[in-house]
Amino acid sequence: MMSSSINRRRLVQASSSVLMLGTLNSITGRSWAASNELRVSVGGGEWGKANIEAYVKPFQAETGIKVNPITDDSTIAQLELMVTTKNVTLDVINLGAPSVAIAGPRGQLEQIDYSIYKKDELDGILDFAKEPFAVGSLMYANVMVYNTEKFPAGKPRPTTWAEFWDVKRFPGVRVLPTGQRGVEGPWEEALMADGVPLNAVYPMDIDRIFKSLDKIKPHTRKWWGVGSEIQQIMHDKTADLVNAFDGRASQLINQGAPLEINRNQAKLRWDYWAIPKGSPNAANAQKFIEFATRADRQAVFAQLMNYGPTNRNAFKLIPEKVARKLASHPDYMAISLPWNAKWYSEIGAGGLTNGEQLRQRWNEWVLL
Amino acid sequence: MQTLQKLGRMPIGLTVPALTILLVVFGLPIVLLFLTSVNAPALSLSNYQAFLRQPANVRVLFQTIQVSVVATAICLIIGYPMAYLITAASKRVRMVLLVLVIIPYLTSLLVRTYAWIVILGDSGLINNLLLSTGLISSPLSLIYSRMAVYIGMVHIMLPVMILPLVSVMMGIDKSLVAAARSMGAPPFAAFWRVFLPLSLPGLRSGLLLVFVFCLGFYITPAALGGLRDAMLSTLIAAQVASSFNMAQTAASAFILLGIAAVMLSVLGLDLADTKTHGTRLARKSWRSGLPSFRALTRDLNELASPYRAKRWTAKLYQAGGSSGLWTTLGTLFVLLVMLYLLFPSVVVIIMSFSGGEFLEFPPSTLSLKWYSSFFGDPSWTGAAWMSIQIGVAVAVLSTIVGTLAAYGLNRTFPRLRSFLTLIILAPITFPSIVVGIAAYFGLLNLGLIGTKTGIILTHSIGAIAYVVVIVSATLANFDRRLEQAAKSMRAGPLQTFRRVTLPLIRPGVMGGALFAFIHSFDEVVKTSLVSGFSVRTLPLKMWENIRNQIDPTIAAVASLLILLPLLWLLVLYVTGWRPRPRAQNVLPDAVS
Repeated sequence: MMSSSINRRRLVQASSSVLMLGTLNSITGRSWAASNELRVSVGGGEWGKANIEAYVKPFQAETGIKVNPITDDSTIAQLELMVTTKNVTLDVINLGAPSVAIAGPRGQLEQIDYSIYKKDELDGILDFAKEPFAVGSLMYANVMVYNTEKFPAGKPRPTTWAEFWDVKRFPGVRVLPTGQRGVEGPWEEALMADGVPLNAVYPMDIDRIFKSLDKIKPHTRKWWGVGSEIQQIMHDKTADLVNAFDGRASQLINQGAPLEINRNQAKLRWDYWAIPKGSPNAANAQKFIEFATRADRQAVFAQLMNYGPTNRNAFKLIPEKVARKLASHPDYMAISLPWNAKWYSEIGAGGLTNGEQLRQRWNEWVLL
Repeated sequence: MQTLQKLGRMPIGLTVPALTILLVVFGLPIVLLFLTSVNAPALSLSNYQAFLRQPANVRVLFQTIQVSVVATAICLIIGYPMAYLITAASKRVRMVLLVLVIIPYLTSLLVRTYAWIVILGDSGLINNLLLSTGLISSPLSLIYSRMAVYIGMVHIMLPVMILPLVSVMMGIDKSLVAAARSMGAPPFAAFWRVFLPLSLPGLRSGLLLVFVFCLGFYITPAALGGLRDAMLSTLIAAQVASSFNMAQTAASAFILLGIAAVMLSVLGLDLADTKTHGTRLARKSWRSGLPSFRALTRDLNELASPYRAKRWTAKLYQAGGSSGLWTTLGTLFVLLVMLYLLFPSVVVIIMSFSGGEFLEFPPSTLSLKWYSSFFGDPSWTGAAWMSIQIGVAVAVLSTIVGTLAAYGLNRTFPRLRSFLTLIILAPITFPSIVVGIAAYFGLLNLGLIGTKTGIILTHSIGAIAYVVVIVSATLANFDRRLEQAAKSMRAGPLQTFRRVTLPLIRPGVMGGALFAFIHSFDEVVKTSLVSGFSVRTLPLKMWENIRNQIDPTIAAVASLLILLPLLWLLVLYVTGWRPRPRAQNVLPDAVS
């Protein structure tokens, strides 16, 4: 490797000086600032493709507004940097509910203009999806998933979190989501396991959460962090009973994996469309979000990618077979617990938000 | 040209380009971040106190140090003999071994982590093998344990340990060891008292790079670790993702830098100062231990030395080999390490031909569809081309600037050298997310957010650190009298550098360039922040993909990346590795 280095080095240098010159041109190549195309973050993979098919393309066709779908991940850190430095390079951003709960009050999102929505569409959209700074884009859930080889149809199966916690009746390896982000974690499930009824989970008793988690910890193999991780764990049959995203489990079930979803006591969660404060095309961004939350559009999306609509009217247009796979199906909604953004951002003891308290407490507890 | 010559006469001036890039892209914003962390202008340590008051943080801090020390030690134990054996091999074998060591480094971190899950998992390769042979009745818990963390981390860090060692060992004059043997030193003593001290600069560079990197690890421990295996960077990343409090994040980042600084001072910051430090260390360790036993063995040694010297002369003229046992053991060791290094890559390549929708091993059906999905999708090929362009530009820029800086640092007085080295190392010590935030502010002032130039500069601040560390190690063993000799023959400083210094430190420069390229090619956290959603590199594209679904396209991409160094090897083989007449004006061209 070393002997021929000079030749190679020279070659690399010669070719790269051309490259370097090329890159100088790109300094002036910041096209988005000038043009009025709408830059929308749509996420990657199949999800991004479904967003483009269901929303981006029809929106361009209807309004004539050019949309540039950005398939990178968008995070709260990027939002904060863009907004505080007044260098906003996205017009529509895709954020999880916890991020909206933080960014909204910090003044980093534009107010949503609900006056441009048709009345029946607006009525169809679930209440918690109509925030002042964001509109719900899709719904999913943390559900219980069990291995059907370990828990076959004829024998008793766990159907509540209390039964998930009951390692004597249902022996087997458990896997639960990590709580290191504070705002998301197995908190609600821990309380339900301890006997708290669905409608009395909030406001949550933090001490009681960790007392309940103490009981399940010795039987847990892994705290998972991202969706692809739990998908791999279910695929590899590392655990017999898991708390996973419903979409990840459905994908594997569609492929023939020996898994089944229990939707009882599921935790409903959702993502939002939002507009970063100072977006150069805020007016068109409002139009895009209004378009993307219409019932007919969400019905198309749900059939491409099995995530639930936030607009209830969409279910009139979705075949029952598909609708049964969606977290926001009316039957499932009745037995699910919606995640409560308000509680997490409330300031509790010690001047910290409840979410922050959970994060610190988790970091300590997990090392014990 | 004249300014350059002036710079050449004032060695410390050579560090100016490197420090300028650092200062503009990273330095000023990081000072601002530091001020934020101490609540300027009020100036209080409340953020640091808040950090240390949480017992969890302190415990994770210790755990981070512990994991990093152990991982570094394993790298040392495997890496040093490996580097020694690579150096001792014939030129062709050495070449092949070096390329093979580098291959796993080119497989994206994410993909490699998945490969380990496939290998170590409960229904993974190892467990399946043991179950089918009947050695065990239920799967071993290999994955989700501290051991899995070490396996994954050492696998990633081993090349970083081996390359600086090889670049230094290749510069060691083997006749020195032979001379020691001829004076009657037993093989081990000749190694311990001659070879080892001379290789210390490489050892220190390797230890430093590995340890500093381990401190900042988070993807691997999070994916392979058990319930308790949290690292400080995991905590920081989670904090950024959940609430993004700049002051607190900055405070934890500076605590991490503090640990790295302590580590640097323990190892000896002076990457260039070898002679004194090296022998001191060797002598100290020689003296420690059981004194009486040592004295006895030494006396026995002295007695036997004339006999050994005689035998050495006899041996010298013997045809062929030394003891066959050692050769066999050495070969076995090399093969085992290579198996460890390359097996995950092999798994990735096989998985890339899977016909299923998931990464699985062994694949249930075979197909080339993930390759066609790569080549048929302009967003993949475009991202790959973008990454190559950026990687080459980063390698060139940081190799030139970094080599100059290492040369300058080598010629300046120790205290200033230590200080500047710490500054240059800061970008690889900080967690990526913090460097990314700092670089974002730096580039914003220059109007470079969302440009290739911006990304090149961001990658370069880390790449320069690599180059400086590795080139410094090579320079440490450099005999300065060779330069004086050239100058006495009326060679100018530039000519001396080009004709004498550069050829001698070439292994280090090449190693540095390679690391610079790979550093750029696998970077995702910083890039995602400064890309402004406008420039898409291959890692960004892979990351976007892996977060949403694990489709085998990433395995196909990883396999294609593995192919790159193999092609290079082939090209070198075909061209016959002939040293060509050296090109004139290599350096001036590059600088001007």
